[in-house]
Parts: sequence; C-alpha cells; structure tokens
Amino acid sequence: MTSIMEMPELVMEKIVGFSDFKAVLTLRQVCRDFQNFIDDLKDSKLPDSEISEIEIISKKDENKIILRFMHSPGDYHRVEYSEMENSRSFESEEEEEENPRRKTITDLGGSNVVDVAIRDLELVLRFQKSKLFTSYFQFDDFRLLNDSTIHTLPTRLSNMFNVSCPRIKTREIRMKVYDSSQILPILQFADPTNLSLLEICSMDNNMEVDSKEIVETDYWKKANEVHCDFHMSNLKVEDVCHFYNITLKTNSFNAKDMDTLKKAFLSLPEHSIYDSWTIRLKDFNESDELSNLWGPPFDFGFATAWHFRLKDLKKNVLQIYSEMDDSQEYNIFDFTIMGLKHVPNGAVVHY
Amino acid sequence: MSSTEQGTSSAAPAEPTTAPESAAAPEVPESFYYVHGKDKVVHKVSAGALQHSALIHGMISNLGYTEEQAKANPFPFENIDGDILQMVVDWCNQHKGKPTPPEDTNLPKQKEKLFDLVLAVNYLEIKELLTYCCKQVAMMVKGKSPEEIREIWMIPTDAEDEAAEKEAKKRAGKEAAGETAAAAGDAK
Repeated sequence: MTSIMEMPELVMEKIVGFSDFKAVLTLRQVCRDFQNFIDDLKDSKLPDSEISEIEIISKKDENKIILRFMHSPGDYHRVEYSEMENSRSFESEEEEEENPRRKTITDLGGSNVVDVAIRDLELVLRFQKSKLFTSYFQFDDFRLLNDSTIHTLPTRLSNMFNVSCPRIKTREIRMKVYDSSQILPILQFADPTNLSLLEICSMDNNMEVDSKEIVETDYWKKANEVHCDFHMSNLKVEDVCHFYNITLKTNSFNAKDMDTLKKAFLSLPEHSIYDSWTIRLKDFNESDELSNLWGPPFDFGFATAWHFRLKDLKKNVLQIYSEMDDSQEYNIFDFTIMGLKHVPNGAVVHY
Repeated sequence: MSSTEQGTSSAAPAEPTTAPESAAAPEVPESFYYVHGKDKVVHKVSAGALQHSALIHGMISNLGYTEEQAKANPFPFENIDGDILQMVVDWCNQHKGKPTPPEDTNLPKQKEKLFDLVLAVNYLEIKELLTYCCKQVAMMVKGKSPEEIREIWMIPTDAEDEAAEKEAKKRAGKEAAGETAAAAGDAK
C-alpha cells in the first residue's frame, strides 16, 4: 500500500501548495518528517496566511506575551505565552462554528517563553504573502522586573526582522509606548513602502517627544494619516502638510504657521469628505492675529470657526473650528470638510 | 519523503482499450502506440492522447515507428499497476486535444488508488492530471486534526516510525550475520 510518505518531494510540494495556511500548520504537527519537510521548504512554496491584522503585546501585570492574528473580523487566533505558568495557550474563534471558542494549553517544559513566541511568530510570518492591514505593538515596561525575560522581546523582534525575517508589510502601524525611545525601534519592524497610517499612543499622559528624528523617517513621510496623543516639540509646518488626516499636540505653531497649514489643507490634491486635521496647540495666544489673517470668525459663544471655499468640492467648505480643551491647556483647531448647507447662518465663507 | 515509483496493489487485468477514432484530423492518419503496465495488458493509445505525458511524448517524438513496429514494441511500465494505467489512458483519451478544465471530479475516491495514481502520473509527467490529483490529496485533510490526518494519509507516528526503523535495523543486522555465517560455511 502506498503511503503519502513515499511521494516524491515535488509532489509533496504541490500538495502543500494546495493546502491552506491552517492545514499546513496542522501538517507540521503530524510527524517529524512532515515538520522538517515544511520547515525546509522555500517561503514561496507556502500558501498565503491571509492574515489581515497582527498584534504583538507584552503585559507586565501577568508576565505574558500575547500574539493575536486576525484573518477577518470574528476569525482570529490568540496565542498567550505565560512566563509564570511556563505555558502557551492557543485560542481561536471562527464565526461559522457553533461552539466558537477552542482553547488548548501547552506546557513549554524548559523552553523560554520569549524564544517560543519569537519562533512561533517567525513561522507564521513565513506565510505572510499579502500586505497586512494593521500591525499593533505594545510592550510594557519590564525594566524593573529583574526575574522576567520578557523585557528582551522588543530587542529579539528587532533582531528577527534584521536577520531572519523580512520586515512586516503593512498599511497601518499602531503602537502604544511607555517611553519615546520605543518609537523608532518599533517602526523598524515594518516596511515603510506601503504604509498609509501611523498611530502612536502613550501609556504616560505626560510624555513629550522631540519630533526631530521621527519626522525624518520614511514612515512619517510615506504615511498620509498620522495620529499621536502625546505632546510633540520642535515640529515644523512642512512636516505635517502632506497628511490627509492628523491628530497631534504641539506648541510649535504660531498664527502665521496656522495660515500656512490652512493653505496646505486647501491645496491637498483630491480632497475627500473624510479629510480632517485635529491640531492641539499649547499656550496658543495669537487668536487676534488669526482674525487679522482670516477675517473675523463666526462666534458660537463657546467656540469660533472660519469657513473657506474648496476648489475641487464645490458643495463643501473647509471649516476650521477652534475651542479650548477641557484642561484649558490646549487650543484645539479642527480642520474638517462640511457641506455648504451646514455652514451656520451669518457665517462668512471666505475665498 | 522517499522517492518510490513502485505501485503495490494488484488489480484484475483490464480489457485493452481502443482509442476513439479522431474526427478532427481526417487527412493525416493518426498514429497509435501501445503501452502496458505490470499486468502486461496492452493499451492502444493515439499519439494525440499520449501528448499529455511529457515522458511518453519525448520517447515517441523521434521514433518514426510504423504501425507494425509500434504494435510489436509496446512501452512497458512495469512499475504501474494495470488498473492505474487504465485510468491514466482513459484520462488521456478523454482530454485528447482539449483544453483541460480547471477541476477534475472523476478522480478515484479511494486513497490507495489516488496515491498510486499520483505516483504513476508523476512518473509519466502528466502535468495537469498531477495538479488535479495533488489538489484532491490536499482536500482530503482540509480542516482535519493531526491525528485524523495521520489516519487518512496512513502516516505512522514518530514513535511507530522509530520502532519500525529499529526493527528493520535489527533484521538487517541478523541478515548480515546470517550471510557472514553462510560465507564462513562456504569457505569451509
């Protein structure tokens, strides 16, 4: 009787080529010969994992690493590596299944959780042919936890992406950091070529970042959407003019800079109604200068707004809405595109 | 993975098949060749149908056999079971001169036959049929657990594999010892 193990290698390559990502991962578990065969295959012979989102997270309170892979909404795999229990738990959820949650826990024996997580991630990324939609990274501050090895995760990932694995191709990079020094190394995990969105959030409400280095990166230049929730210093107007969507905080812009920004927004090629900039300016006290440049604003009582004609979207206008935030620290300037019919009565639409 | 070309299942001898007359080429008479498998049952197949097999096509393209010569020299494929060769010949006849469809649902459902067919088709280098077969083999285990895959594809576990290997080594050792003893006996 012929067994599959007697098939020539070329035939086996073809069979693996017709299997999907999950099937090939299962095949690796069938026996050692299969595992070796699949591990020795060229990446190009492997099927596409069709993963759309990857999350790589380390959590200090539970000494855990979490990898989450999403194929489509509702269909994801979550792998948790617990340093305390020295285990890996694998959980999947698929929409079509009656009993959606399946969880299997493996004892990792003497293996280190970071080693295992890196090895697993590297294996999964071998199957990543299409570009990811989102990549999310969040690494807790393990610096004071001397008995944990999870603090090495970001460095190990850097090494992996430098040496044995191509950088992630992704449309969106999202990250949550505890310190500004984490930002540039995390960015390096991804390939900037296809990037369209950059989102950096801070775990520390008082984090301040000198923008000099980050605005020089390809990631900043290639993205057309940027969202940062921390204060950025030394930002120049020309660093942000190319974005269609912005959320940021700074103290770098004066009234003249705001006028340059307004002109830049108006001259963005091909506006869409979703273009919007939210710029929070700390200690901004040049409202009078703005009125001199843009004319008197419409006064809502609690806020003011200016309206400008758009050249390409005739039935719409740019509204620049300004109010103080709750902390009274930042002056919020919201640039949005709105229908002409929604301009308040009595407001002037400037050309 | 080992590379083996030997089919092992036995099957009843099949009747020789005659390729249907080709209506597409009335002017040039079609040439026929003869093939047989392990069961020695000879199949008459048109050159047009045999074109699917890169191996046979390469063999016949420079032969210039007459009908009698071809009949007298059937190609022997001793490594292919008769019923498997019959399947291959039928497939080649059915798809003679036709573009192959994106899928073929007429492949054997029995896994032993399918595996034998894969080996035969790989040996005969019939690219499209090999693609269909490999796809079917892959589909057999879609959504299955490692244990189920082991059963469906008849794969021994690593432990069984090691035990079998040990046993084989032991046997080989015994045989070698036997041979040495026999050789010693001869010398005497």
